[in-house]
Amino acid sequence: MAYDVRGYGALDDQPAGIVHVFWLSGMSCDGCSVAMLGAANPSLEDLVLDRVPDLPLFAIHHPMISEESGQELTAAYAAAADGSLGAPDLLVREGSIADDQALTAGHLATLGTGADLPRGGRASRSDTQPARVTDWVIAMAPRAAATIAIGTCATWGGIPAAAGNVTGSMGLMDFLGAGYRSARGIAVINVPGCAPQGDNFTETLIAVVRYLTGSRDLPPFDELGRPGWLFDQTVHRHCPKAGYYEEGVFSEEPGDNQCLVEIGCWGPVVQCNIVERGAINHMGGCMVAGGACIGCTMPGFPDKYSPFYKAPPGSAISGGVSKVTGGGIRRLRRMSMRNANSEPIWDRAGEAGPTGWGLAHGTRNPLETVNAHFYKKLQYHGSVHHGERNKKQPQPKSMDILRQKGIDLDASTDVLQEHLIRREEL
Amino acid sequence: MEVQFEPVSRVAGALSLHATLDPGGHASDATAMATTFRGYEVLLRQRDVRDAIFISSRACGVCGGAHALCSALALEMTFEVRPPHFGIAIRNVLAAIDNLVDHPVALFLRAGPDYSEPVVRATNPELWARAERTPAPGVAIHGLKRISDIMAGLTRFTGSLSREALVMSRTAREAYVVIGGKYPHPQTIVPGGISSTIDPSDLSLVLLRVTKFLDYSRKAAAIWDDLTEFFYEADGRYHEVGAAPANFLDLGLWDDPEVYDATFEHSATWGEARWSTPGAILDGQLQTTQLPLIDSGVEEFVDRSFYEDWVGQGEPVVTEDPNGNRLSARHPWNKHTLPKPGHPERHGKCTWSTAPRWKGAAMETGPGARLWITAAAEKLVNRGFMEPSGRGLRFGMPQAALPESEIEWHIPETWNAFERNRARAYSLVQSTLVAYENILFAFDLARIGDAESGVFSHYSIPKEHVIGVGFWGGARGYISHHVEVKGRVIENYQIVSPTTFVAARDGSGTPAPLERAVMATPVLSTQGRERHIDVMRAIRSFDPCMSCSTH
Repeated sequence: MAYDVRGYGALDDQPAGIVHVFWLSGMSCDGCSVAMLGAANPSLEDLVLDRVPDLPLFAIHHPMISEESGQELTAAYAAAADGSLGAPDLLVREGSIADDQALTAGHLATLGTGADLPRGGRASRSDTQPARVTDWVIAMAPRAAATIAIGTCATWGGIPAAAGNVTGSMGLMDFLGAGYRSARGIAVINVPGCAPQGDNFTETLIAVVRYLTGSRDLPPFDELGRPGWLFDQTVHRHCPKAGYYEEGVFSEEPGDNQCLVEIGCWGPVVQCNIVERGAINHMGGCMVAGGACIGCTMPGFPDKYSPFYKAPPGSAISGGVSKVTGGGIRRLRRMSMRNANSEPIWDRAGEAGPTGWGLAHGTRNPLETVNAHFYKKLQYHGSVHHGERNKKQPQPKSMDILRQKGIDLDASTDVLQEHLIRREEL
Repeated sequence: MEVQFEPVSRVAGALSLHATLDPGGHASDATAMATTFRGYEVLLRQRDVRDAIFISSRACGVCGGAHALCSALALEMTFEVRPPHFGIAIRNVLAAIDNLVDHPVALFLRAGPDYSEPVVRATNPELWARAERTPAPGVAIHGLKRISDIMAGLTRFTGSLSREALVMSRTAREAYVVIGGKYPHPQTIVPGGISSTIDPSDLSLVLLRVTKFLDYSRKAAAIWDDLTEFFYEADGRYHEVGAAPANFLDLGLWDDPEVYDATFEHSATWGEARWSTPGAILDGQLQTTQLPLIDSGVEEFVDRSFYEDWVGQGEPVVTEDPNGNRLSARHPWNKHTLPKPGHPERHGKCTWSTAPRWKGAAMETGPGARLWITAAAEKLVNRGFMEPSGRGLRFGMPQAALPESEIEWHIPETWNAFERNRARAYSLVQSTLVAYENILFAFDLARIGDAESGVFSHYSIPKEHVIGVGFWGGARGYISHHVEVKGRVIENYQIVSPTTFVAARDGSGTPAPLERAVMATPVLSTQGRERHIDVMRAIRSFDPCMSCSTH
């Protein structure tokens, strides 16, 4: 049976290429599905409406968005499991894997009933019992062209697998075993995050589909099956607050704008790209907004990052070092910055500048003057010394034109002073 | 005849419905089942109390932000700390935007397709013919000339309204993540406030996105007004689709920054000062608006659920709340979560949802409850853009792309699937205006620049045995977190969420609101009856969130 894709958007002119995506949720919070709905590059509509020329039409079977309920929904899953679908399919697993194959009665996560599972298949359950999601994983994973675990629950186990759990939860790799390969020879692909950044998932999905359809190579993955181009960096490396760490300046309480390590951020050792990519359309991202990283993309989350809001022990060493060296660097940079924020035309006039906002450079002390002299000499060495050239440049005649024309203005600066950020505050 | 919808699609989380149909196809009996369990309440025990917010909120990826804020409120009560005014206002903005992310998807992707062109053509061709010749009264607002144009717009993914909802939901997400860091599961909620670094650019980015909802929420309300009236006029029996008694429970939402003080003792006062008023309504009659009286009436039952009963196993921990109201052994502060998986029996234990009741009654939660109680209580004073009108809630819409105007949500005469959806659309209006007003308030506080213009207040974690509770709400309404802490470690943590109230039976066998709504639904499709379209409309009008419900 070739599964009927009507109801998936394309009614009349069916494109030749179609790939089915079967979403298997169980033991999840649906947050990964919600993250997927928020993806923009590509978006869900891009895929199901066949908007991207080099990609096939995506028929996405998902209990949260599908038209059909009950057996009408699960029939396509069964067709994929018994090989009668007539088109390639990918399996996406959201949520931890419950240890419910060990249960003689009962379930911890279900999809349909035992009667919906393919006849004579490897999954076993009586027709009258609910079909466990794990039954479907067993039935579908070996035939799937690729299997993707979305979110930290499906990848590593996540919160349902944390200390004290009573469900025996685990990640998909643990359940399927290291020997698992999809029908096209791919091990489990892991896109972690609690919840994952939506684009991380849809981008990985299309990368895999492009490989399956032969239009691109399989991109690199790391030793844990994470998309290498997304997870090969610590989140700290791209963090907008990392510069504070470099200069040894740290937030003391939530809401402070400096590096968050001392209020409990694990960013320096966590592999994640959310500050670089943003949470959606390059906006937000945990530390961008002021949230400390709690390691939600990592194996061992949450226990290995608990208690939250407490500085990681490692930060005492690295943070201490950065306070000493970074503090020195910061002072040197501020010294260099005495020469910054000044146009050569202002330097020549020997004034702070034409600003009414109150910039006051003051006079340099002798040490600073010597410093600046050698700094410039080094900077322009082997090149052209624009500092010397600028000293000879004539001043424009129409500077301060209002005063030249005798136009009087109220020179009160009281309002402005209230709104001033002074250089020393940097 | 027995039918099973395993699972019911286009709801959040895993929901199954088993129904007994009489020969006409009407469900004479219906059983809702939550089919997943993860054990969040069990996992939270014996954890550092500092982990509560980020763990408990992950019970639900649809309402995670609401749970995070609720957990923060519970911890603030135990730590005796309240955030500065600015922090509270920013939290309000965040909570309101959460609805702007969720409601469009609920209205136009989960419920909407049931009213779309392909579905109506397939189930009620005569309605489609009527829709084609019926002008849409709200055309000036939403731009769709006929009811059939609205139905075409609701077609899943290809329809303009369907696609617009995804885009608008993402617009709201952009605003959300500026404050919350990410979505779902914000990363900036802390006891004592919020860890967001809010600068003028952040407030502006958020404001500009909320502003887009000034127009979009009006459009959503106009569309659901038009659809609802069209169905009512086509066939009066549509009043019965998803019908249920007017029993509502809500804990209110959006704290008045100048009134909230995180104490249980003053919770009646700060509760009534909220932008939406807490309350209980039985058979259309307002019972109370005081949070302690709402809370002390709550009991949870597990007769039909895969849990062992905890009552009788040890003494209740909290026999009286801090105000002296007596608490039952079935009150969340006294509840223990004792999971016991088993073979589901339709008329026995069959669901992972518990059955919370208020003074023994099955209550409905959600945007309808929120609007109805706020309208009936008439407690709102001096709010910038909304006021109770005596028969509903009146909203003053500032000019955006559409001109300034007033619109009003009316307390409906019958409560059913259409009214639930309509209320959700007006909840979008309400949430937009709450976000808008709180951003303006935040701008003011930032300008003043005093101690209340920060985002965070210091706290210390008591070593003693302490209890706390968060009273809050999400897109679907009622959320409470009850916590017991001993030596800075969580001794007990209990979550009650909106769908928990509506989706499971108690020991009396009285149908839960969702089941009752299914059983009230007549068969009105003239074609394709096997689709049970009106039953699906009834279920989806609740916007069930099974992830929250079972945790």
